Amino acid sequence: MPKGYLAIVLHAHLPYVRHPDFDDFLEEDWLFEAITETYIPLIKVFEGLERDKVKYRLTISVSPTLMSMLMDPHLQGKYLKHLDSLIELSAKEIERTKWDGPFNQLAHMYHSNFLEARHLFADKYKMNLLNAFKHFQDKGGLEVITCCATHGFLPLMEVERKIAVRAQVKTGVDLYEKVFGKKPLGIWLPECGYNPGDDEIVKKEGVKYFFVDTHGILFGTPRPRYGVFSPYLCKSGAAAFGRDTESSKNVWSAVEGYPGDYYYREFYRDIGFDLDYDYIRPYINADGTRINTGIKYYRITGNTNHKEAYQPDAARDKAAFHAGNFMFNREKQIEYLHGQMGDRLPIIVSPYDAELFGHWWYEGPQWIDFLIRKIAYDQKNIELTTPGDYLKLYKNYQVLTPSFSSWGYKGYSEVWLEGSNDWLYRHLHKMVERMVEAAREHRHAKGLLLRALNQMARELLLAQSSDWAFIMKTGSHVQYAVERMREHSEHFMELYDEVKEGSLDEEYIKACEDKFNIFPDIDYSMYSA
Amino acid sequence: MSANETKQGSKPLKIREKKQFRFPPGYGDNKIVLLVRDPWWMFTYWEIKREKEEEVRNAIQSAGDTPEKSVLRVYDITGVNFNGKNANSFFDIELKGLASNWYISVSPDRSWIVDIGIVTKKGNFHVLARSNAVKTPRFGMSDQLDAEWMVAEEDYWKMFGLSGGFGVGKGSLEARELIQRRLEEQITSGGISSGASFFRKPAERKFWMWVNCELIVYGGTEPDATLTVQGKKINLRPDGTFSLRFALPDGKQVIPVEATSHDGIDIRRVTPIVTRKTE
Repeated sequence: MPKGYLAIVLHAHLPYVRHPDFDDFLEEDWLFEAITETYIPLIKVFEGLERDKVKYRLTISVSPTLMSMLMDPHLQGKYLKHLDSLIELSAKEIERTKWDGPFNQLAHMYHSNFLEARHLFADKYKMNLLNAFKHFQDKGGLEVITCCATHGFLPLMEVERKIAVRAQVKTGVDLYEKVFGKKPLGIWLPECGYNPGDDEIVKKEGVKYFFVDTHGILFGTPRPRYGVFSPYLCKSGAAAFGRDTESSKNVWSAVEGYPGDYYYREFYRDIGFDLDYDYIRPYINADGTRINTGIKYYRITGNTNHKEAYQPDAARDKAAFHAGNFMFNREKQIEYLHGQMGDRLPIIVSPYDAELFGHWWYEGPQWIDFLIRKIAYDQKNIELTTPGDYLKLYKNYQVLTPSFSSWGYKGYSEVWLEGSNDWLYRHLHKMVERMVEAAREHRHAKGLLLRALNQMARELLLAQSSDWAFIMKTGSHVQYAVERMREHSEHFMELYDEVKEGSLDEEYIKACEDKFNIFPDIDYSMYSA
Repeated sequence: MSANETKQGSKPLKIREKKQFRFPPGYGDNKIVLLVRDPWWMFTYWEIKREKEEEVRNAIQSAGDTPEKSVLRVYDITGVNFNGKNANSFFDIELKGLASNWYISVSPDRSWIVDIGIVTKKGNFHVLARSNAVKTPRFGMSDQLDAEWMVAEEDYWKMFGLSGGFGVGKGSLEARELIQRRLEEQITSGGISSGASFFRKPAERKFWMWVNCELIVYGGTEPDATLTVQGKKINLRPDGTFSLRFALPDGKQVIPVEATSHDGIDIRRVTPIVTRKTE
């Protein structure tokens, strides 16, 4: 019998980026990098755990935009081409670095990683990595949950709130059901953005739990009895789990976090930027822009520009050490909590962005692997769990209304509502208003009208992605984000006019459908409720 | 090129050519919308119809009054079923220039409505549009205790401190400050948020320079000859030439290149020796 539980939650998300008109599109690389550096390495960890019969529980939310991209044949084909080009490049690197021992060893490492990724992606999981997540869920290791349709930030959906939020939630639940063959137990509210009352919508869609940031629970009403170390039931009956601060800091913190260790791989030194232009030209973006290839030869080394060669074995030792440290800290935490919770066992909920592991923190997947194995074999105080499992432990939980909150910088909506992006909401709100109007005007639409209304719903959802506002704030790829917002608005407004005037243009509707083909089963009538 | 020609001539259809889209400056609405940003700030945007504004201005004139300034009137409607006159309190923000949105500083844990309107010389207020009602979140612990889930004060603070990651035994005021500090620590995605490692800008580097050396070894022989470089067989191009590229570290490289004729009779060997030294 453990003294408490640990729930690691990985939130996997990328915005929907798919440009079939182009052979090579800069922003599509986000997906390709994440597949090679995060999703496949994590899948390899789960395979190893299955092979060695290690018992574990881990929660992963896969956003519906990411699910859609992973299932899309066009992107799957492009990824394979991308991977083949990395295999070719890494083979060349083996030759080029022949006289440089440490780099040569790394070139070999990348080459064999890429070959293995190809085998997993193309042969084992038949080009669709969702097959892998489904497999590990069915085997009892993973609890896969869903997210809102396009990662829309719910607190800022002020106009027609209930309908707009429900469309985001319902679309995410429906797609999950189609892919995984059952209702999701939980949902990741984008950016942990919670507005009191949204839980009713979650509950109505048959979802049992969601997550909020620490202050969402601590500032909840009435006073929480167990801090963030127990879930709470909202009045709607949906359960809210609060993020633990200490374990978040261990990983996230720029100051104290593990990923900054000097032995870990340096993210910013990529051969896409470092090598001679003529040599690397065939492997960077088609327009000649240097990009990350994923082949990186240096370790962080220190906080100057001087970098030394990456040593995989030393980094691996660090990952093991940090996993041990993380486990030790959680045991200590559980020890403090023990006896503070009456007859209940505490749960520590540690959510992270999945793409942090592998893409940003190269050794992250190894760290997870070590952590799971250490928890299984090296101690008895804590056990891994999932929110779904924990909710089965007790008959009742304290009823509480969490506070409006998010996990963004400063804890509320500022990241997505500030000088660079506040102009978005005027248009997003208008689109919701017009969507509701059109859906109510044309109930039970058929044929071309049905297609136009469904496409309007797709364009609206895509425009709502929190990513566009976020990108505008961070200042990198801004032009792309603005362009996407512009394009979805254009399609939406044009279709709205056509629907309103009864002048449907099939060619235009088809062009929009082909370009933004997400959610094939969408049903616009969710906006007429 | 007309729109029709475009459609017939281009496959796949270029959607963009249908219409050059720009976000409209307005939608012909007369409305004001209010959003909560955090416990201390709200954001509002609005659009006022010209006719509406003229109508209100005319009404003011015909009542023998004069429009003086455009304002946002911010009402605290906490606990009130607001009818336009029964707010707990209100304050005005004078609008200048062509503003169509505003950030409004308010207090946590209160309910709010904003009117946009015109204040007259005589001090009367005429509404152009009224916003939705919103509530700013409380920044702090609830006063409500749960009879079913009672806990000693001391234990409550202990759980609170452990949850917030700042240890035990902190009182209410201090705890609030600690939470605020925590929220500014940027512990999401290393100070970023979902997907952010993709969108993040590299840290600004100051002046910098770097230099590296590579060596190209190239040559040619009979196309059907066998060629080795440092003992490793190299594939020749159809015309018998070859080209190899190496990263060149400091130190000495001895690079024997050996060609053997198709029948194995002729052998040619050339051995470049290259030394790199970096100072």
